[in-house]
Amino acid sequence: MKLGAHLVWAVVAGAAGLFVLLGYFIDYEIIVAMRLVLMRWAVLIAAWALMLGIVNILYVHFIKVQDMEPGWPYSIVLMLALIATVIFGFLFRPDSEIMVMVFNYIHLPIETSLMALLPITLAVAGFRLVIQKRDWASMAFAGAAFFVLLGTVQWPFFSDDMFENLSGLREWLVQVLASGGARGILLGVALGAIVTGLRVLLAVDRPYGD
Amino acid sequence: MNVVGILVLMLFIGGMIVYATIGRRWPAVFRPLPAYDDLGAAIEEAVEAGERVHVSLGTGSVIGTDVAPALIGLTIASKIAEITSVSDRPVVVTAGDAAMALLAQDTLRTTYNRINASEAYSPNSGRMLGPTPFSYIANLPVLIDTEKVSVHVLAGSFGYEGALAVDFGTRLGAFCLAGTDDVQSQALIYATAEDPLVGEELFAAGAYFNQHPVHRAGLRVQDLMRMIIIGAILAGTILRGLGAF
Repeated sequence: MKLGAHLVWAVVAGAAGLFVLLGYFIDYEIIVAMRLVLMRWAVLIAAWALMLGIVNILYVHFIKVQDMEPGWPYSIVLMLALIATVIFGFLFRPDSEIMVMVFNYIHLPIETSLMALLPITLAVAGFRLVIQKRDWASMAFAGAAFFVLLGTVQWPFFSDDMFENLSGLREWLVQVLASGGARGILLGVALGAIVTGLRVLLAVDRPYGD
Repeated sequence: MNVVGILVLMLFIGGMIVYATIGRRWPAVFRPLPAYDDLGAAIEEAVEAGERVHVSLGTGSVIGTDVAPALIGLTIASKIAEITSVSDRPVVVTAGDAAMALLAQDTLRTTYNRINASEAYSPNSGRMLGPTPFSYIANLPVLIDTEKVSVHVLAGSFGYEGALAVDFGTRLGAFCLAGTDDVQSQALIYATAEDPLVGEELFAAGAYFNQHPVHRAGLRVQDLMRMIIIGAILAGTILRGLGAF
């Protein structure tokens, strides 16, 4: 019985994946139409999954508050903010002035603050990389980053001519070495992604469970 | 009809079937990847110390083009769930996409049922942390700190926020292994992670964990296709240099 269900899921997932994939290669009207229908279904299901995800967030944090687990006050703040945002959204519509204010004055500054952490994090990580990992790859990485930064920034007390060679070195590093390396990496990633997709299509990997 | 595309696809599928068939008689030997060796040791330490392993599937969407690394993340999560099923604190898997969190729950439930450890499964083991990249990242430090995470695996699609995701784990003293598909994010992760995975190394996880013969076959097909592409590039360069076209 269990094997039967397992086979049904695998066949349905494989057939859906095959239609979507073939839709990119074959121009037959039926296959292209089938691909579009399946893609629309996927978007709809993903939208419903978002609802389940929100419920999941609330449930996880509710359990944390109930069991007074470490950090439970943060969970209360998260739940209150989430519920308040949903209520405001339903009462005033998502494009109302209040919702725009919630987004502009709460959501956006928090995300921007996190983004602002990134340069500091990377600077600290750069120092840590040089100090802790003393292999040739890390040194080359840190050295290239250093020269690219030197060739990119504006120097307030020096003339541009003094750093013309550095700008040339930066261009060479970015256009020749970095571009070549990035293309090689992209090639490996693309091949890996194709094989990963085919494993799901052949039901070797079944992320949808048994 | 795109005949070349279909032929390439058939070459991939045929290669996987052939290598999976001959793989038992002539097993492949892969180069050592220290990141995966270190991960195994770190998981063993975490299980012995009663600490938790966290697998992040990133902020990519199931219906997006960036789903492949997260599918590998699910493979890694499945293997780690097997290993940590005896632990007091089983693996926790998080995602920034709700559908991906559901897939994580299904993967964990299936894995625990397969190894007769269904009591280790909890619906909270697969979670969505936040629907946007930075809301997901903002929740990570609390998770790592309060859940006593000592092994922090990032296998999914990340943007620039991936560097912060790694750094939060590093600063809280967790072992960090990270890999993603985006080239620029890989550079950031290389600078921040203890054990970064570069390029296709992330996609080799299933083969290195010996998850299924087809994973090993897939890796051999990737190598074969890479050789064909390199040959084609070299041949094209030489012919172009000789003025053939």
